[in-house]
Amino acid sequence: MRKIIHIDMDAFFASIEQRDHPELKGKPVAVGRSEERGVVAAASYEARKFGVRSAMPSKTARARCRHLIFMPPRFEVYKQVSNQIMAIFREYTDLVEPLSIDEAFLDVTVNKKDIPSATLIAREIKQRIVDTTQLTASAGISVNKFLAKVASDQLKPDGMFVITPGKVLPFIEQLPIEKFFGVGKKTAEKMHRLNIKNGKDLQQHDLPFLLHQFGKQGKYFYDIARGIDNRPVTPFRERKSVGIENTFLADLTTQPQITTELERLIEGLIKRMQKAAKKGRTLTLKVKYSNFEQITRSTTPGYFITSKIQLEMLAETLIKEADLSRPIRLLGLSLSNFPGDKPQDAIQLEINFPG
Amino acid sequence: MKFVVSSTELLSHLQAISRVINNKNTVPILDNFLFDLKDHKLVLTASDLEVTMITSMDLENTEGEGIIALPSKILLETLKKFPEQPLNFDIDMETMAVNIITEKGKFSVVGQSGEDFPELPEVDQDKASRLQVGVDLLQSGINKTLFATADDELRPVMNGILVEMSPDNLTFVASDSHKLVRYQRFDARTDFSASFILPKKPAGLLKNVLPKQEGDVVIEFDDRNSIFILPNYKMVCRLVEGNYPSYNAVIPQVSPNKVIIDRVEFFNTLGRVSLFSNQASNLVKLKIENNEMNVSAQDIDFSISAFERLSCQYEGDEMEIGFKSNFLVEILDNIDSGDVVMELSDPSRAGILLPFENSENEQELMLLMPMMINV
Repeated sequence: MRKIIHIDMDAFFASIEQRDHPELKGKPVAVGRSEERGVVAAASYEARKFGVRSAMPSKTARARCRHLIFMPPRFEVYKQVSNQIMAIFREYTDLVEPLSIDEAFLDVTVNKKDIPSATLIAREIKQRIVDTTQLTASAGISVNKFLAKVASDQLKPDGMFVITPGKVLPFIEQLPIEKFFGVGKKTAEKMHRLNIKNGKDLQQHDLPFLLHQFGKQGKYFYDIARGIDNRPVTPFRERKSVGIENTFLADLTTQPQITTELERLIEGLIKRMQKAAKKGRTLTLKVKYSNFEQITRSTTPGYFITSKIQLEMLAETLIKEADLSRPIRLLGLSLSNFPGDKPQDAIQLEINFPG
Repeated sequence: MKFVVSSTELLSHLQAISRVINNKNTVPILDNFLFDLKDHKLVLTASDLEVTMITSMDLENTEGEGIIALPSKILLETLKKFPEQPLNFDIDMETMAVNIITEKGKFSVVGQSGEDFPELPEVDQDKASRLQVGVDLLQSGINKTLFATADDELRPVMNGILVEMSPDNLTFVASDSHKLVRYQRFDARTDFSASFILPKKPAGLLKNVLPKQEGDVVIEFDDRNSIFILPNYKMVCRLVEGNYPSYNAVIPQVSPNKVIIDRVEFFNTLGRVSLFSNQASNLVKLKIENNEMNVSAQDIDFSISAFERLSCQYEGDEMEIGFKSNFLVEILDNIDSGDVVMELSDPSRAGILLPFENSENEQELMLLMPMMINV
């Protein structure tokens, strides 16, 4: 039986702003740009009460909460704090898998401090985080990643929730389907259409049914409905893509504007590719129109994309597939499908021609 | 100028050359067929600058002469909808107004000056080499190899078929660096040694028209262009420039393990078993021992798996090797013999597939790189 902890910082960006600007404590704070086209990157708990959510256009957020205070994001600071908490985790185990800047899985089955109780470790870690950063975190403790992740969400903020092996099934049975890790908005809607409202409903369906409905994900849903998740905590999660995107101050409406911005993105992408030492097989173009409708177009040309010339050539063909007569709010390019990261059971070898 | 032409005959000529025309052309004139009437002969041309195809019809009933470009799409679509009947083309060369007078009515379009149509690339006769082979031979050479050509923007030479002439034989080679095909004919030798790389598109066009031809093809080429002269068509195309990789060096000379197996049985087994392979890899595993080949596949994500056992003749050590099933299927599909020979050395080296019996004047060899099985 493994012991897995999921630690999730509470309203991370917003809490850091409240910490560094004490006058903001207890007030609704949004991190993000307040101007016309800005987007909320994070919201404090006070702001969430008004329905302010991350990824929401600032305009909408402001409409929901008149006295919302916007703070410009300070990513360097957040990154610094993130490093601090990750360092704390690593004092307990090397099996730390960061999920994002402010959350991580820890496998403490075997730990550096020989503490037998995962609950004790989680409590200690929470305290260490408060001492070091004056910020709070929520912890979930259980026997696998799925359960630990769901557990940390139970008593937020500053909470701690344990799902012991004996409580796994009763816990899952009552868990609303949208709380399942891996069930997003779309999947949740589909689950509801299938009359699956909680873990118990999910358990009623057999594997062929779930595979039919959800494809590959079906196997995952089948397993987690039974509390099974054998995915290991992997410290070095390979990044799956390298990308860059830009939201424009004014919508792009003309072909030359689009070309110029695309060139800029390519410049930026090639730098990031070089920094990450990545080559990929797939280039994806993202276009968000002024009405927030978004399309992506991708191409997999059959070779590794490594050079600027290739990017230019491919981006040019991709942009032609977008409707350029509509005002464009955002353009993005990303490279993915890196060597060896397909979920493949085998690798096709190539003929090694001399010269 | 005026001429009378059978609607179906005109359609069949235009359809054959229409495959040259791209859907989107940078040069608008290329959306047209070029009509050139002279001495009772109507010459029809379609081009995309890289490839040009020309065909001609002898007409009895003509008046005057001239060259005009006519829009291809509307012409083809209209012709397809006519029942067989004589069509009277009446073209005013001053205004480019074209009237097609049918049994029941009149269809009018406007043409463009034929002078705007790009000039044909020419083969430099001083540097040109010339080859004359049977239509069937060229057809086999293209059919056997075209499927193995690459789509590699970085290595354009791989996107074509290498045609290599020598006093010993005529060789066709194609490879996408996962598979390689070498097809040799000993009944077509030249007293010189030369080669050219025929791009995919013209190769595909030839593949399409050759079955309807009889007799010989004359191929003339220099280092940039080639002309294929068929009984009813002429194709001029730009060649892929550059050097083809030395393919013979990658063909293993000796492979210790040799399987002989019924081709169709193997092909059908792969068709069934591969449905159960991982969708990303398409991996099928071949486990061969004691005159038996076990063909298996699985997709762990969907908890499905399959295997079939086939009897074969096997000389060699027990071994297991993985291949991309669709590649293997394509290769088996392009071998004509009843039994195939598979020569293998080890799971990470190229496998060779050969027909069990070659016809007298030909030799074909297909090479396929295996997949390295993870786990």
